[in-house]
Amino acid sequence: MEGTGLDRPGKKPENLPFPLTRARKSMRVSRALGLGICGLALTACASAPMTPEMIANNDPYEATNRETLKFNGKIDRYFVIPTVALYFVLVPEGGRRSVHHFLENLTLPTTFVNDMLQGEMKRGSQTVARFLVNSTIGFGGFLDPASKMKIPDHGEDFGQTLATWGVGEGPYLMLPFFGPSNPRDAFGLGADVALDPTNYIHYKQHLWWFAGQKYFTILDLRAQTYTTVQGIQRSSVDYYASLRSLYRQLRENAIRNGRAVKSEDLPDF
Amino acid sequence: MRFQPILRRTFLATLLSLSAAFVARPALAASPAEDFVQTNIHKGLELLNNKQLSSDQRRTQFEGFLLGLTDMKRIADFTLGQYRRTASPQDLAAFESAFQNYAVAVYQSYFAKYAGQSLKVTGSQQRSGDDFIVATQLIDPNDKSGQPPLEVDFRVRTDSGKPVVVDFSVAGIWLALEERDQFTAFLGQNNGNIHTLIAHLSDLAKQFRGN
Repeated sequence: MEGTGLDRPGKKPENLPFPLTRARKSMRVSRALGLGICGLALTACASAPMTPEMIANNDPYEATNRETLKFNGKIDRYFVIPTVALYFVLVPEGGRRSVHHFLENLTLPTTFVNDMLQGEMKRGSQTVARFLVNSTIGFGGFLDPASKMKIPDHGEDFGQTLATWGVGEGPYLMLPFFGPSNPRDAFGLGADVALDPTNYIHYKQHLWWFAGQKYFTILDLRAQTYTTVQGIQRSSVDYYASLRSLYRQLRENAIRNGRAVKSEDLPDF
Repeated sequence: MRFQPILRRTFLATLLSLSAAFVARPALAASPAEDFVQTNIHKGLELLNNKQLSSDQRRTQFEGFLLGLTDMKRIADFTLGQYRRTASPQDLAAFESAFQNYAVAVYQSYFAKYAGQSLKVTGSQQRSGDDFIVATQLIDPNDKSGQPPLEVDFRVRTDSGKPVVVDFSVAGIWLALEERDQFTAFLGQNNGNIHTLIAHLSDLAKQFRGN
């Protein structure tokens, strides 16, 4: 999972210069192991020597993070991309779009819980409306009539909720398999599993369903971001630093819920 | 006595008008920056949409347009971060030239993806007397997703006499900021050697122009 998984859902990724929205997608891919991996990463990095750049970039584990990115790149190249290629061959574009809508619909209960925890009543009502419309006349979420009805899509996760409660992001982390993160967002990954009401519906095939959902989420995410990630790799002077910057800026934008940046937060030019 | 409420209302109305005038001042001042963005980006998109131009003509004209619109020297210096202070004037000039080459090639490739779309200015913020952030939306007439249009912001400085774009953001990502993060990290990994960065930028520019 070398990619950030930050493309704009529903938009053609090839039209975008860099991964554009919603780190939540990558967040959701990586819920279950977030906490444990975060702890492992911190332990593994503890002995890395610090440089002024690491401190300035709030990236004290940069050396280990860079190694993790290389590892993720190999997983991506040898396991994920071949599967994505097969997915492209076997499933036509319309089918892939339906899978994307279906998976997105499954995330809406968690989005709603986070909307409420952030006190975002209007966005919460939009999430409920999207879920009801797409689950019914959208044939269980495979179609997206809600967007046609101008009910906008948005994402929320517990990492963002923590941010709105004033929790700082902490140092930058590159998680094995899951990509860019930080302690706050990694904690959020685990918390989102607990917040997802659908995880409390137990039935015979529950675990298979859970595993299948995660598998297809990874597939969908990588299929959506393939061209964009390739574009970043091609144009980057330092791919690692580029991902770090993009991740942070996207997260800040997601936390602001797309509201305009405060001009005083921008650097002098 | 009857006149007292009327006088009070008149006084309040005057006060409100004056307050409105003060509140409106930044918005009015922001208008030239908004006009600048609307007019120029529209020109750029028109250039990309002009089917009568050959790809070479389009590339040359777009390069001229981009260099007229932006302050490349200023952007280049910004992207060097703390390394700008220690760079020699010769190295700085060589870097600015390499950056311009790289930026034109990369930005052109970015903008080309938006051919066929139109830009709508939605507002602006005034950061200081000569520093504006103009908010726009990129409207894709072929987009049937039903999702909101892409938000693109432009940072416009007017302190050099004429307005120039010094950075732009797509969906919250500021490009020059991202470049600065990359370049300073690259220099950190290469003992602050600007020549290595210049060589790398030149290679990337060649690759982009080759495609």
